[in-house]
Amino acid sequence: MRVRLDRAKCVGHGRCYVLAPDVFEDDERGHCVLRKEEVPKEFLEQARRGEQNCPEGAIALVLDPPEPGLRAR
Amino acid sequence: MSPVIDESGRVNLFHDEFARCPQPAYAELRRRCPVGRMVLSGAPVVSRYEDVLWALRHPEIFSSEMEMHMQLGTERPMIPQQIDPPAQTRYRKLLDPHFSRRKMEELAPAVARHARELIDGFAAKGECEFDSAFAIPLPCTAFLHLLGLPLSDLSFFLEVKDDIIRPHKGRPGVLPTEFQSFRNAAGARNYEYFRRALDEREVRPRDDLLTALSRAEIDGERLTRNEILDICFLLLLAGLDTVTSTLGCNMTYLASNPEQRRRLVEQPTLIPGAVEELLRWETPVVAVPRVLKRNVTLSGVELKEGELATLLLGAANTDDEHFEDAQRVDFERERNIHAAFGAGPHRCLGSHLARMELRVAMEVWHERIPDYAIKPGETPRFSAGIREALYLPLVWDV
Repeated sequence: MRVRLDRAKCVGHGRCYVLAPDVFEDDERGHCVLRKEEVPKEFLEQARRGEQNCPEGAIALVLDPPEPGLRAR
Repeated sequence: MSPVIDESGRVNLFHDEFARCPQPAYAELRRRCPVGRMVLSGAPVVSRYEDVLWALRHPEIFSSEMEMHMQLGTERPMIPQQIDPPAQTRYRKLLDPHFSRRKMEELAPAVARHARELIDGFAAKGECEFDSAFAIPLPCTAFLHLLGLPLSDLSFFLEVKDDIIRPHKGRPGVLPTEFQSFRNAAGARNYEYFRRALDEREVRPRDDLLTALSRAEIDGERLTRNEILDICFLLLLAGLDTVTSTLGCNMTYLASNPEQRRRLVEQPTLIPGAVEELLRWETPVVAVPRVLKRNVTLSGVELKEGELATLLLGAANTDDEHFEDAQRVDFERERNIHAAFGAGPHRCLGSHLARMELRVAMEVWHERIPDYAIKPGETPRFSAGIREALYLPLVWDV
């Protein structure tokens, strides 16, 4: 699972880095920064809470792209 | 039918019943007239989550530049609240770091200390009037701490903000036509106070927000004296009443719902979630005003350029379309995208300060006075506008 952040939408509510501190952190202005785009399994639940609680809808969870070898011909 | 809304769908947001318990009126508004009209003025009132959030995110249509509409004793617009992007963005870039969650958490020990001192003053009596004993002084001391001003100036600031926000307070018989002169006089005193405080810091800089503002630069240019004064004016008006009101709303709810309160006492880790949920459910800052910059249609109703729209944050926050089980107060709500601090570019600058103050206040209070109730035979009284519990008598066993 990957997490995507639309920085243009973020206005610094700060819900994500409070509820999911292992996935998101704050910059100097208190806006959201991704710790890592890829979310390890143990932080999936956190990432989901962060995504669900963003009042601006600036966060999205996306499935990992399929590995190149598995792509349909 | 709610007594707050008449047959033709006109709403009276200054009705006593609305201040005390607004949720039924919100539900009726969302259902019957999602864009309703205010009694007397006929100004539009927006109540659905989707419409309110859309408006908040479109300041080019729903503008905050309304000095002509809001006469609050100011000589110029307050910064950054009454200025729209792009100018507002430059101020927010400068101010946001001073109000970040990290910075505000540094103030938590001082706020906890003030809270304990206040409670020490009345705990043994077994009762207090919560508004005057706790809800009013606590945010004000936090504000003074943040700005680096002496605590001895507490009463000055309380007088100034009351004269501006509630000029009728403590003045029975004064006519609304006289309100403006009180506001203007208080505004002048406020400017004068901050002029002096800034002069002092030019001679002797300190480690505080006022000094930081007087040295701050935007794109290599320092803020002017007037810009700093216009920021200070906002901090005073926005920072005190709002947290005071939220504390009163929270305690009224918790005093009236002992089983919910017991859960917080037994499990203090629920407090941050409870703070969010009570912000959603009570939404003490019921609404924010915006001026229409052009005609626009919301929920099928046309709003006209120049109209003063009321965006009902409280109605948005209790909208069943956007919150699961919206009419239930759930401290463990998984998804809580409330707009109690607004949304979009004007998201409350002090939201992290408010959240810290509310959390610390709830923690300290319930540690010291876990069991309390509204004094038997008494009814709390709420103010119109921002929902302050002006009279909230609490009792507990000693």
